Amino acid sequence: MKINFNLYWRKFGTFVILIVIVSLFGMLSPKYFFSTDNLIAIALQSMIVLLVSLGEFFAILNAGIDLSVGSVVAVTGMITAKLLVSGFPVIPAMLIGGIGVGLVLGAINGGLVYGTKLHPFIITLGTMSIYRGFTLVISNAHPVYGFPQFFKNIVVGSLWKIPNPVIIAAVVTGILIFITNKTKFGRNLYALGGNKKAAWFAGISIKWHTIMTFIISGITAGIAGVVMIARLGAAEPLGGSGLELFAIASVIIGGASFFGGVGKISGVVIGSLVLGVINNGLNILNIPTFYQQIVLGSLIIIAVTLDRTFSAKR
Amino acid sequence: MHYLFEMKNITKKFPGVTALDNVNFELFPAEVHVLLGENGAGKTTLIKILGGIYEPSKGEIIIGDKKYLKLTPDESIENNIAIIHQELSVIEELSILENIFLGKLPLIEGNKLAKVLGLVDFKKITEKAKELLKKVELDRDPLTTVEELSVSEKQLVEIAKVLASDAKIIVMDEPTSSLTIEETDNLFRIIRELKSEGVGIVYISHRLSEIKKIGDRVSVLKDGKYVATRDAKSVTIEEMVKMMVGRELNYKYSGAKHQRRGENEIIFKVENLTRLDEKVKNINFELFRGEILGFAGLIGSGRTELVEAIFGADRIKSGKIYLFGKELKIDNPYKAIKEDIALITEDRRETGLFNNFNIWKNISIIPLIKESRLGGLWGLLNTSREKEYANKQKDALDIKCASIDQNITDISGGNQQKVIVGKWLASQAKLFIFDEPTKGIDVGAKNEIYQIMHNLVEKGSGIIMVSSELPELLTICDRIIVFKGGEIQTVFNIEEATEEKIMFAAALAEDVGNSTVRVRNYEN
Repeated sequence: MKINFNLYWRKFGTFVILIVIVSLFGMLSPKYFFSTDNLIAIALQSMIVLLVSLGEFFAILNAGIDLSVGSVVAVTGMITAKLLVSGFPVIPAMLIGGIGVGLVLGAINGGLVYGTKLHPFIITLGTMSIYRGFTLVISNAHPVYGFPQFFKNIVVGSLWKIPNPVIIAAVVTGILIFITNKTKFGRNLYALGGNKKAAWFAGISIKWHTIMTFIISGITAGIAGVVMIARLGAAEPLGGSGLELFAIASVIIGGASFFGGVGKISGVVIGSLVLGVINNGLNILNIPTFYQQIVLGSLIIIAVTLDRTFSAKR
Repeated sequence: MHYLFEMKNITKKFPGVTALDNVNFELFPAEVHVLLGENGAGKTTLIKILGGIYEPSKGEIIIGDKKYLKLTPDESIENNIAIIHQELSVIEELSILENIFLGKLPLIEGNKLAKVLGLVDFKKITEKAKELLKKVELDRDPLTTVEELSVSEKQLVEIAKVLASDAKIIVMDEPTSSLTIEETDNLFRIIRELKSEGVGIVYISHRLSEIKKIGDRVSVLKDGKYVATRDAKSVTIEEMVKMMVGRELNYKYSGAKHQRRGENEIIFKVENLTRLDEKVKNINFELFRGEILGFAGLIGSGRTELVEAIFGADRIKSGKIYLFGKELKIDNPYKAIKEDIALITEDRRETGLFNNFNIWKNISIIPLIKESRLGGLWGLLNTSREKEYANKQKDALDIKCASIDQNITDISGGNQQKVIVGKWLASQAKLFIFDEPTKGIDVGAKNEIYQIMHNLVEKGSGIIMVSSELPELLTICDRIIVFKGGEIQTVFNIEEATEEKIMFAAALAEDVGNSTVRVRNYEN
């Protein structure tokens, strides 16, 4: 009996947590919480965290971590903004500033992690500060704004009432689900996270797989950076600060393990939604922001504790 | 005279294996009782029961006038038992002083405040530590950090730690394996001093000549069973070897002995191979079609180090390898797999299994990598084909499981081993290197593994088997290479090989060989 319950919880536990939290806020604010506007708002708010979390998932899957994602969001946002206001065509600006710069920053992380053999925690703690500093230098600590309308239209417009950030995140999610479930690369990452030595003896290149996980993390953070400046209408030098914590939280709430080799993209999506719902619910209930942080932190601990208790290894 | 301790009818069963079977062992005061046996004979298990790490399945332990059915680590320490394990347990970051008094730092006496704050009386223990270091002849400041010390100096710290604990029963597991001749003499001097104080010592060693030097009695274990106890001074080295070996192998080997494989066809050849770290040097050998080549030797003799170098898992300094006449350049396992080499590694938990995967994912990983490009980065999964691979191996190897969707941790050790063999069979390799393939699995599964190896040879694959079980090597192999100190010591054809001869080559030669090397070092 107990084993069955554990199995069940491992599969659907995170989803149950989401349902519980949604019901809770639904009861506390029955009128407003379930309105279409609010549901769209939740989706919209969750997307930046989701995009960053998707990349973070790969770093954690490989038994590592990426603390620099918040700063990558800032650098990519800032560079894209600079390109846009200097009259660069919109699409290339997004591709170069968002995906291109994200890729390079991720590759730097991955290269350093492999080259120095230090724990990713140390490396990305360093690059978190370096990338942030770089953003401040190139922006001279001033926000950059005044983007073309076309840019706002494609990034934060909507298609049949679905906001474009949701569509962007959905496409990225779809690609990453494909990578984790359908490619050898994805399978190898699970192998590497599960048993690094056995993976080495099975011929899996630790070097390139490690670098690739950080590149993915950099690219998704880069996309999040573009979405963020479009939503805010400006690139803030301190934008994205603290995002890494939300990303790590949603990956872990989503069922991944810090020891690596365990977890699913679908879990990350639910994890991000859990954070989004909590954030939104507390806003609706008019709980002051300072208290929100306390509640949010406590809920993260409770959710993960519940998860680990019920899905403890037999 | 009364025993210091007595272990009576000790039996220890692990799932599928009986590690100890009705073993008796006892120690007198002022005695050095040597415990002798091959790898896997049960020495370490017996010691771990004495140290309270394992609980015996049956039997009793009598210490003084107290009887125990099992010991806890605390009870073991309370009864003045100290164990110096083969792997040193000093804490690198602490000083010699702190290591010696670890867990029993005395507080400053006669001072209430000091007691409340838990202030350590460093003055007192510094004095005591200096005394102890003098006793073990370690010329170092007690405040030196242990990580600055050499391996043999750490060993001395370990001994000083035991002396500080006033132990009455001291177990030393291979204490001389990292010591020079001078240091060994120093250790023996300490042991004699301890004896004169009435301390009893259980001494485990493979070095037969030194056993005669320091031991009083020798007890031999074989396959978890007690063999005999002899007087250490009068027993001969030949007798000791004879008692250790001669294990029975429960093996029904149906295949005929391989034909002496036309020496004209060489499957695999290694020329002058030396590892970058020089853990193996100047290795030359050939593997002929139709034979199983065995690698024998003590742990650390370079067998595993050699096969890992061949497989590209470790870097080589020089040397060439040829498979079916073609020279291979292998600098990582990916290339080895691509070149049809398979390595079934020694420690399946550490380097073989993916505990987060089910059975079919564990099997398909190797064919998947082999058919991939760019070091495994490029390629799509084909789940139904992966399951096909797995099902084929499940049937061929008779892997017992409810379904290949079961998690790998849910099946027995023997079946896990078959899964590991299966992943390499699925990759269609041509050279199979088995490193201790039957370690920790039951007799039935062992026989099946032997049968698989036999079938591979029949099909024309090359097989190398590393094993510490001599009877296994003697039954399965056609030639046996004995390794010692990272080099090839002897090559035996199966007709001329006996357990005694192999044991002599591996253990005794090791003894003599190391001594000569060390004397040379000492003169420098």
